[in-house]
Order: sequence, then C-alpha cells, then structure tokens
Amino acid sequence: MDLILQLLANGISNGSQYALLGIGFGLIFGTTGIVHFAYGPVFAASAYVMWWLIAALGLPFLVAVMLGMAFAAGFGVLSYLVIYEPLVERGSPSFVVLVASLGLFIVIANSLAIVFGTDAKTLPDFSYGIYFLGDVVVTGVQIAQVLVFVAVALTLSAFLKYGTWGSAIRAVTDNVDMARIVGIDTRKVAIVVFAIGSVISAIAAANLLVREGASTHVGFFAVFYAFIAVVVGGVGSIRGAAIGGLLLGLVESTGMWKLPTEWQSTIAFLVLFVVMLWRPTGLLRGN
Amino acid sequence: MSRRIFLASVLATGVTGLVLPAYAQQPDVYRIGAILSMSGSAPHYGTVMSRGALIAIDEINASGGVDGTKLELVIEDHKSGNTQAAVAGMNRLITVAQSPAVMSSFSGPTVAIAPISKEKEVFVINGGGVSLRMIGVSPYMFHNRSLATDLAAAAVHRAQARGYKRIAQIAGKSEFGDSVIAASYEVAKKLGLEIVAAEQFATDATNIDTQVAKLRAARPEVILNWPTTPQAGLVVKRVREMGMSQPVISMEWTGEDTKVAGIANSNGVEVATDYFSPTTDNAMGQRFYNEYKQRHGEDPDFYAANYYEGVQVIAELIRRAKLKGGDYWNGARLTEALWEDPSFASVYGGMMSFQKNGVALKRVAILEVTDGQLKLKEFMAARTE
Repeated sequence: MDLILQLLANGISNGSQYALLGIGFGLIFGTTGIVHFAYGPVFAASAYVMWWLIAALGLPFLVAVMLGMAFAAGFGVLSYLVIYEPLVERGSPSFVVLVASLGLFIVIANSLAIVFGTDAKTLPDFSYGIYFLGDVVVTGVQIAQVLVFVAVALTLSAFLKYGTWGSAIRAVTDNVDMARIVGIDTRKVAIVVFAIGSVISAIAAANLLVREGASTHVGFFAVFYAFIAVVVGGVGSIRGAAIGGLLLGLVESTGMWKLPTEWQSTIAFLVLFVVMLWRPTGLLRGN
Repeated sequence: MSRRIFLASVLATGVTGLVLPAYAQQPDVYRIGAILSMSGSAPHYGTVMSRGALIAIDEINASGGVDGTKLELVIEDHKSGNTQAAVAGMNRLITVAQSPAVMSSFSGPTVAIAPISKEKEVFVINGGGVSLRMIGVSPYMFHNRSLATDLAAAAVHRAQARGYKRIAQIAGKSEFGDSVIAASYEVAKKLGLEIVAAEQFATDATNIDTQVAKLRAARPEVILNWPTTPQAGLVVKRVREMGMSQPVISMEWTGEDTKVAGIANSNGVEVATDYFSPTTDNAMGQRFYNEYKQRHGEDPDFYAANYYEGVQVIAELIRRAKLKGGDYWNGARLTEALWEDPSFASVYGGMMSFQKNGVALKRVAILEVTDGQLKLKEFMAARTE
C-alpha cells in the first residue's frame, strides 16, 4: 500500500511538470499549427541561463527565474520571427516547417554544449525540505511543482477567458481565416503565444534546475512529454494538454507498481497509442 | 607475361583493393581510431578518455613517434552509446582514416563494432565498456578495463563483508546495466545473499522517482548503484531525499556525481572500481598524472588512464610487429604481436597481462567519498565469483 501511495504522489508531481510543459507547447501548437520542437532546447537554454545568473553572477533565485523567463520569451519570439514566419509566409508545407523546427532543435542543443560545456549544471546548497505523510515522502520541490502548475494553469485560463489578447488567441485557435477577416492581427497573436508558451517552458525549467540540474539533453524529454500531453489531451485545448500531462505522469508512475521499471519510457508511448486509437482527436476533442 | 595474364593480374589487384582495407605498409602517420562518447547525455567520458589518449599521442610523438613515424588520433562520436553511430564511426575509421587499430568505449558500441572488428581484422582495445557480450566475438578485440563480473563480484563481496544480506540494485537500461545486474544476481546467489529489488531506467533519464520509490519499498540493507556519471550522483541524491539512509556502493563516482548529489549526500558512498593513482615507484603513471594535471587542472580518473594506456599498448604493438618486418600495419599482425607477449607496462604500475579472453586482469579498489574526494580503503583481489 505504501508503494502505490508513493507512486501516486510522485505521479502527481511529475504529471504537474508534464502538464506545465504541455500547456506551453499546446498554446503554441494549437494557435499557430507549428510543431515547435525547438521548445525543448528553449526550455534547456532557459535552465542554463538561470543557472549562470545564479552561479556566475550570484543573483537571487527568484530574480534569475524572472530574467530566465524574459530570456525564454525573447528566444521563443525570435525563433518564430527568424525561422517559422518566413516559411509560413512563403506557403511552405507543414513538413518543411517541421524539418526547420528539428534543425533548430539540433542547433540550439549543440550550441548549449559548446557554450556551457557538457557537464551537468546544478545549484549547490539549494535545500527545499522533505516532508513525510505517513510513509510517503514528498519534497518541497515536488510540492512547489504542483502549486506552480496550478497557479500557471489558473492564470493562463483567466487570461484566455477574460483578456483581450486571450480572446484573440482563442479566435485564432478556432479559425485563423475567420480571425483575420474580423480584423485580428494573427501575426501579433503568433508572437504573443510564442512568448507566453516559452515563458511557461522557463518556469518548468526552473523546476528542473532545482530538482536535477540542467544538462544538454533535457530538451528532448521536455518536448517529447509536452507533445504527448497535447496529443493525448487534444490539440487546441489547454485544459486537455493539462489533463494529458497529469494523466501521463500518473500512468508513468503508478503503472510501474507491478511492472519492471525498465518499461517506464515505453509507457508514455503506450498511453499515446491507446488514446490515439480510442479518441484520435484527444481526450477533450481538440482541433 | 601474356597480355591476358597481365590484364587478369591488374583486375585481381583492383578487386582486392576494393574488398580489403588498403592499409599502407609503411604509412606516413599511424592513424589510431577512437570511438568515444563526445556528445549526448554522457560526454564526460569522451572528454576524459580523449584527453588521456591525446597525452599518450603527444608524449610518443615528442620523442620522435614510433621508430620515426608519428601517431595521430582520429575520434568518432557514438553519442553516449548510440550503437548505430558507433558502427558508422567504425566504418569511417576503416574506410576514410584507414585505421587498423581502434580504441572503443561503452559496452553497447563495443559489442556493436565487434563483428566489424572480426570481419575487417581491426585491432580494437576497449578501456571503458564492461559487458560480457564483448568477449569472444572478435579475436582482435581486447580490454584494459575490469568487466561487469569483476565489478559486481567486488561490490557484492563488499556488501557481504560489511554484514549485509538484503541487497537492492539500480542501473541504466543498457548493455552494461543488464550485464552488471545479471552478474550481481549470480554472485549474490553463490554467497547466499538476497537481491530484494533490481530497478532500471533509460540511460539518459533525469526522473528516476519511480525506481527509487520501488527500491525504498523493498527495504534493502544496502544499495548497489550501477549507473555511470552523472546518474550515479542522481541516484544518491534521490535516495537520500526519499529518506533512505542505507549505505550505497557505486560502480563509479566522479566530481560531477558529487555536484549532482551534493557533498553531504555523497559522504560515505563507497565505490568499487578500477582505480588509478600514481605512486612514486610508477614512473609512467607519474608522467601521465603530471601532464594531465598541468593541461587540465584536475586529477585524471581511471578512464583517462585506460586510454593513455591503450595508446601505449598500440604503440608497443606497432614496434613489435614492425621488427618482424613485412606488412605489419594491420589488425592481424598487431594481434599476433600481442599474443606473442601479452605483457605490457601499465599506467597503474608494474606490468599488466592480457588473459586468454582478451581482458587485462586488474584488481578492483574500494574507495569512499569524503568531502567530495575519493579515498582508497582497500584493494580487492581480481575475481569473478
């Protein structure tokens, strides 16, 4: 019984991180239709920048996180303006944009290794407490991960529902042509979603930096889990991406209760296949 | 000679040249290949291994090379264990660099290139991989690193010596991880110890909460920590975060593991591993240590030492084979020279000797991490059970 409770606690925590990544990635994908694989390296680069601000410049953690978020926003917008927008304007097929995204992924990931070196970057002496709920152990970082996800999800939800830009984003997500007809500047909307989505990835990167440290290959897992969360939840549905991420975390963790843990990486694909076969448009019937 | 015979000879020569690697009988430079982990999740190994190899290359070239011919190192990247990249790299080393002597690393890539080594008669020396599946595939493949069985035996014996009976183990899902877990089961069974949990994770995973939760639920007395850097440190960090105070015996530990785990969590971790430490009666080791320290500002680990040693072995084999004359710059002649005298000066001190299975016998050290530093506790005699 203790084991399944521990796995459940871990699953909720990990699922929160996947959900956070999912809503950022999903916002970009659902609004612009661009499979932004470079979302992963932007996530990784944000972690490296935050680490550098703390380790090299001695900045306080929260200040470094704010600056990391600003960096991610700028980096994300730049990737749209320099790589994706020119291709979209020329009417390039979606697979061309996908290949460009993969190319950007490789360039950024390797650049990080060249600039920062290949060793893991950690925050020494960063303590966050350990709490026991009966026999279940929960760390301060795990609790923070869940709370941060809830805060970001609620904030984003409110923004999309009540904000002017939020309405514009929802309109473009629903029907980009109609949105243009009614006078919405879809280019500006794309820039805004790339900025917001990248900021969300930076918040997730801060979680990672505190938990495990940054390394050059973390970007792959970030975009991998984000992509699965979005597809499982339904493209175009932020709520779906959140549910997809949480579900992924829970299944990945509790699914190992009786299975050998070497199957853990496979379980994510199994979840994806089952959902795609059962509900191809995702759990919440996204676009 | 008739025109027909002449044309047939030319044709035969051409076909032979296309089929067999065209190693020059007396090359301008001896190109030694190396297939290392230069990128991906574990580039630390490629960095230190290449450093060790390059120090040996530079040292030999500074004294005029091997009988006047310089050495050159050609590095290919297997991207932290990608076997396809390793095979592609091996093929490039054979066809482009035309190197009949290659240093390999990691178990998976070494296993993957073993059939090529056999088919193309390429001399391979592995200083990093530990899988038993590397043994017996190619007659031209050798190893100057302790095997998984050696390390597992040392760690399990150590656990027994400390009075523990319930063992949990954790490893990456890889050729190496599978080997060491299987070897531990065998040794534990012979010693009457119980493996209460054996968990594995993807080799580049950063989230191992599930695995550690299952280790904890098994309530072991000791944990055998088989991952390599930096996941060895990640395991210790997670284990301690989950309130587990059981002793940990790792297979390796570097400064990066201490960084990831934190100094407090690292203290007391024991490491059963090959161990390089220069002593005053080991001129070769001292030379290597001083040069490495001067170039890189840090102490070399045994991986760096193994690849320094690997280059020295290849250079010595070239000398021996060349003395006998003929077409000597090929894997078959280098292997023949090795078996004529399998003893070589070792960077660890004294001489090392290759056994019939191609593995150089080395003793395993038990070290303890104290304030981020590895301190030698004792050596364990080399054994496989």
